[in-house]
Amino acid sequence: MRGTIPILRLGDVLITTVHVELRDAVAEAFQADILDAIEKGHARGLVIDISGLDMVDTYVARILAETGRMAHLMGTDTVLCGMRAEVAATLVRMGYPMDGVRAALDLDEGLALLHELRREKK
Amino acid sequence: MTTLKLDEDELRSRRSFCELTDQDLARLQSLRGFAEKHTAEIVSSFYDLLLSHDQTRKFFPDDATVRRVKRAQSEYFLGLFEGRCDIGYVEDRLRVGAAHERIGLAPKWYLAAYRKYLELLRDKLSASLPPAEAVAAFSSVQKIVFFDVTLAIDTYIAANIETLQRHQAALRELSTPVIRVHDRILLLPLVGAIDSVRAQQIMETVLVRVVEEKAKCMIVDIAGVPVVDTKVADNLVKTTAAVRLLGTQTILTGISAQVARTIVQLGVDISTMHTRSRLQDGIDLALELVGKAITEKRA
Repeated sequence: MRGTIPILRLGDVLITTVHVELRDAVAEAFQADILDAIEKGHARGLVIDISGLDMVDTYVARILAETGRMAHLMGTDTVLCGMRAEVAATLVRMGYPMDGVRAALDLDEGLALLHELRREKK
Repeated sequence: MTTLKLDEDELRSRRSFCELTDQDLARLQSLRGFAEKHTAEIVSSFYDLLLSHDQTRKFFPDDATVRRVKRAQSEYFLGLFEGRCDIGYVEDRLRVGAAHERIGLAPKWYLAAYRKYLELLRDKLSASLPPAEAVAAFSSVQKIVFFDVTLAIDTYIAANIETLQRHQAALRELSTPVIRVHDRILLLPLVGAIDSVRAQQIMETVLVRVVEEKAKCMIVDIAGVPVVDTKVADNLVKTTAAVRLLGTQTILTGISAQVARTIVQLGVDISTMHTRSRLQDGIDLALELVGKAITEKRA
């Protein structure tokens, strides 16, 4: 299951696009891959693009939020990007607004937001 | 008729609640001769009342109208003594109610005028029948009259509801204008009450526009919302949460002292939004968030 979802490295930023449903083993492997990548070479930021998902239930949303919190513990900021409007509406309606997760409209914006976050820290 | 859902079952149930029995209908039918004899006099006295009052007189602008309504009224009056109470009868009565609604004759006049009708009938009945019979006859008249009144009032209400629904539909279409103030800054000026249907629609429209305009900032101005209660606040918080997932920040402006007080007293948490009292300050903040500013022009 490891490696199902590829993780790219661009400078000190990790970029990953989730294009398959994050279920059980895949979700676990996804988290492990990301944390390993952060551990291997320090990454300042992580961008998770979910523009390929037209359905996100609370389980998947929780996995994504959790991954962000784990990365944060290792000193990496996470930005979630590319969520579709109807997905956002559904998550909020289901009472899971993913508090604490930084979000951006698309990959471009996501990288810009990471940059901004880093500037704020300095 | 469709709004009221009047079918045979409903008719039976209404009749039985008015205790309008077949016996009553038979008694009314037997009074037909009596009714025909007094129609002209009763209708004329009835209109004396309506024409003596300023606010009801204006419904009858000229003599021709008075003659026409008197004729209609005579038919209506005789209808009470037909000994018939079926769907046809009900439809007939509903038409009367609809006509009143159309000309704007308020229920207060209709109901109060009916009292006069009953008084005139009672006097005529006790003058022309032995006391016991007169009491029984008046009771039957009362039953069918109240049966009519319930129908008429329901027609008024149904007509009002239909008007309201039409207005609501028209308002809904106009209710969510999303304006592009500047690059990547949207403004949603909210005016009027926000119910759950409208809140839902607001969220959908806003999300679509945020994606279209790649908005970074969304200003929601609530200066035109009369009452901000927990429900309205909750809906705003939800919309904020949804656009946040698309990377857009929300600025709430137009918060009056009263609204600020209410929000705090209700214990609503709106910490996910930036808040400003004036729209102008909200726009300044939005520009700052997208890295722009309005500056004085140098002379």
